[in-house]
Amino acid sequence: MNKRIITVLAKDKPGIIARVTHILYELDCNLENVNQMILQDQFAGFFLVETPASIDKDVLQKKMDEQTAGTGLVIHVNDIKDNNGTAMDTIGDIFLITTIGPDQKGLVARFSTIIARHHANIINLKAVFKGGPDPRNNVMSYQVWVTQDMDTAAMFAELRKKAEELGLDIRIQHKNIFDAINKI
Amino acid sequence: MFEDHEILSTIEMVKNEHLDVRAVTLGVNLFDCISHDLDRFRKNIRAKIIGHAAPLKSVCDQVGDKYGIQVVNKRISISPIALVGAAFSPDQMVEIAKELNDIAETVDIDFIGGFSALVEKGIATGDRSLIAALPRALAQTGRVCASVNVATTKAGINMDAVLLMAQAIKEAAALTADADGLACAKLCVFANIPEDMPFMAGAYLGVGVADAVINVGVSGPGVVKRAIERNLENGPMTLGNIAEVIKKTACKVTRVGELIGREVAKNLEVRFGVVDLSLAPTPTVGDSIGEIFQALGLSHIGVPGSTAALAMLNDAVKKGGAFASSHVGGLSGAFIPVSEDLHIANAAHQGFLSLDKLEALTSVCSVGLDMVPVPGDITEETLAGIIADEMAIGMINAKTTACRIIPVPGKQAGDSVYFGGLLGEAKIMAVPHMEQTNAFVRHGGRIPAPIHSLKN
Repeated sequence: MNKRIITVLAKDKPGIIARVTHILYELDCNLENVNQMILQDQFAGFFLVETPASIDKDVLQKKMDEQTAGTGLVIHVNDIKDNNGTAMDTIGDIFLITTIGPDQKGLVARFSTIIARHHANIINLKAVFKGGPDPRNNVMSYQVWVTQDMDTAAMFAELRKKAEELGLDIRIQHKNIFDAINKI
Repeated sequence: MFEDHEILSTIEMVKNEHLDVRAVTLGVNLFDCISHDLDRFRKNIRAKIIGHAAPLKSVCDQVGDKYGIQVVNKRISISPIALVGAAFSPDQMVEIAKELNDIAETVDIDFIGGFSALVEKGIATGDRSLIAALPRALAQTGRVCASVNVATTKAGINMDAVLLMAQAIKEAAALTADADGLACAKLCVFANIPEDMPFMAGAYLGVGVADAVINVGVSGPGVVKRAIERNLENGPMTLGNIAEVIKKTACKVTRVGELIGREVAKNLEVRFGVVDLSLAPTPTVGDSIGEIFQALGLSHIGVPGSTAALAMLNDAVKKGGAFASSHVGGLSGAFIPVSEDLHIANAAHQGFLSLDKLEALTSVCSVGLDMVPVPGDITEETLAGIIADEMAIGMINAKTTACRIIPVPGKQAGDSVYFGGLLGEAKIMAVPHMEQTNAFVRHGGRIPAPIHSLKN
């Protein structure tokens, strides 16, 4: 068996997941992980599957394209190399970095550049910039994995400085506080 | 993975609703420091307390920074000095208080509590020395807090001690007349004092505990108030539903306190004790118990309906907190300290909240007549009568009650007093029948413990 990841993009509508998973079922593929999100009206789905040895990447891509022709789905199949572990297999912590304030060009780029320079891994990012007074419409939230060998204090100081320069309210809090308050 | 509303509501609680950890209190057991030699005793307690507490402030700051929740006060509670220092005279007790004050300054914490005696059933030599030392000890130190337990449900009320404490309070006020009797703000008289309370001025460390323990007091009046307001904005609610909102909010607040407390305890390598669920206000707008009454539809704390509202609030907080943590203790109720709560101070000044109503409120909440400034010329008999009444409420109802009354020298009802910081400011409350002679409190002896059946 071989592992492959299938990316599906389309304008959101009922039946996308049903169509994709049905094709995979007929090809005797085994779903290991699925995740999807909808950004405004755009669907993005990720399907991590085990495929039979007889189906290589190109065959799978061809079958998927054939059977979704005319539906508007953009599908991309990639091989996954052996799992050598992730950044989160080391000892570390998750911090939530949240900024509240109006949209400006390059916000995500500026903050993620600082995070990357300190070798911290963004494991989840949500950003909504719709304007207006409601903070829910002007928020960026990064979940960042930091390890003990990183200089997190320096990274947080740099992020706070950048937020101040840009006139954003920034909060940096360990994930456990959100668990304590929200996950009962 | 968190939803947007979970992230934003958590941030909102800290940013705009004044959620913080009000006190992380390190309890230090001093029984192994006992000596009949004052110098040796001083060295022993200094070494023991500093040995445990040296990193307290920095650890609290680090943990607070990690979670984005400020630990406002770092404090120490110790074994009752009247017990561990029973061999010493009043003058030596004052020296011990000064040593404790110096220790508090050395480790940079704001208060150290436990200059205390437990005299509900009788006054021993060490207790008498400590009570005699109280006025000078509190006037000559800034960070030492004192408490004396004069009543319990099982022992009754020690009326000799009640009168002694009234005298001590008057004397402490006189010694700090230039600061509006500030020494009395650091002195509590208790019925059923808890052994694990993190809040001052009553914190001390009980006798059945480990060498060191962390107890945590959370806050959250602003969070509760906003939760009630937010829900009412969506339409009418029954009081049962409002109680449910309070309960859920208290649960969240308690979990924050336990998270912070456990991490501080872990970093200090000491045992975690309890979370005190008390809603503790500050003299800041938006962080007031009094404002919760407004959110519930009462114009001011003290108007008819206030006792019922407070009973509901207190009970809901306990239910939510008890669900959130298996280790709750201390006072665990709502505080109604007059000068420390802007809205309560204003309600008292405007005549909505009298001393009598305040006493009635304390029958359903913690802690008692707290931070109540009264005219300086109140007689010691009247003061003792007020204390005895408050102790009776605690004794009969098997709950903690306390008196932290400040007879402000040279000032009358309606005059302003300013204590500063968390102690706040207020107008002096009128005391009815203040000048009457009161032979009752001079009978002395002990009011017997109440019967525990025939409950009505």
